[in-house]
Amino acid sequence: MDKNYKESSKSGGLIWLFQRVSAIVLFILLMVHFVTYHFIGHGIVKYADVVEKMKAPWFNLIQFIFLLTALYHGINGIWMVAEDYMKKRGTRIFVFSILVLLGLILLFVGMLTIFKAGGIK
Amino acid sequence: MYKRKMIFDLDYYKFVGSWAWILHRLSGLALIFYLTAHVWVISTISKGEAGFEEVMGVLATPLFKYLEIGLWGIILFHAFNGIRVVLVDFSKGSLYHKKLFFILIFIAFVLWVAGGYIIVSHM
Repeated sequence: MDKNYKESSKSGGLIWLFQRVSAIVLFILLMVHFVTYHFIGHGIVKYADVVEKMKAPWFNLIQFIFLLTALYHGINGIWMVAEDYMKKRGTRIFVFSILVLLGLILLFVGMLTIFKAGGIK
Repeated sequence: MYKRKMIFDLDYYKFVGSWAWILHRLSGLALIFYLTAHVWVISTISKGEAGFEEVMGVLATPLFKYLEIGLWGIILFHAFNGIRVVLVDFSKGSLYHKKLFFILIFIAFVLWVAGGYIIVSHM
């Protein structure tokens, strides 16, 4: 048996649960998001409409929760896939770091968009 | 003990669940690539109206509309197979997971055709 199995059993359970909980949240948010922006209104997103929506704090809050959940689910998902094909500790740490960095950059860019276009100071 | 010879040993993937599993992974990877591009594209909104509308104009071209139909399909597959994964893990889904797969994929396919029709009508 893999000598690291104890390590994974400590954190694996919660990660597994969070992946499913975030999946349910994303299912609802993504369906609403896709119908709103890709189907309604001829599939064209107008600058004025978005800026108008972003004046409401609850809208920005939901966008932030959406972004955070999607990034967590997506980055964790890649990690779950990648983990199956990596054996060396060094490779795992390297890939893990790249994924965390990607997640943080996307979170930063997304938050910057919410703050700047949402007119939040 | 089963010994894996390659990363993708196709002899091993011959059941519905195995294919659902591998397609779930591939569609998930595609979606994170899309999300990266999406967050970056939408960030142009902070450059003001002209910059944002220019990017949106590119996305309104037929090429991107066809890609959007593909995106809708990948989202639906991942979302509806995801329902199956949740039902298998939290409920008694493992007893009927193959049937569940075909039912959910059928619903997803209907939604894909309906959504695809709407996107085509925007062109």
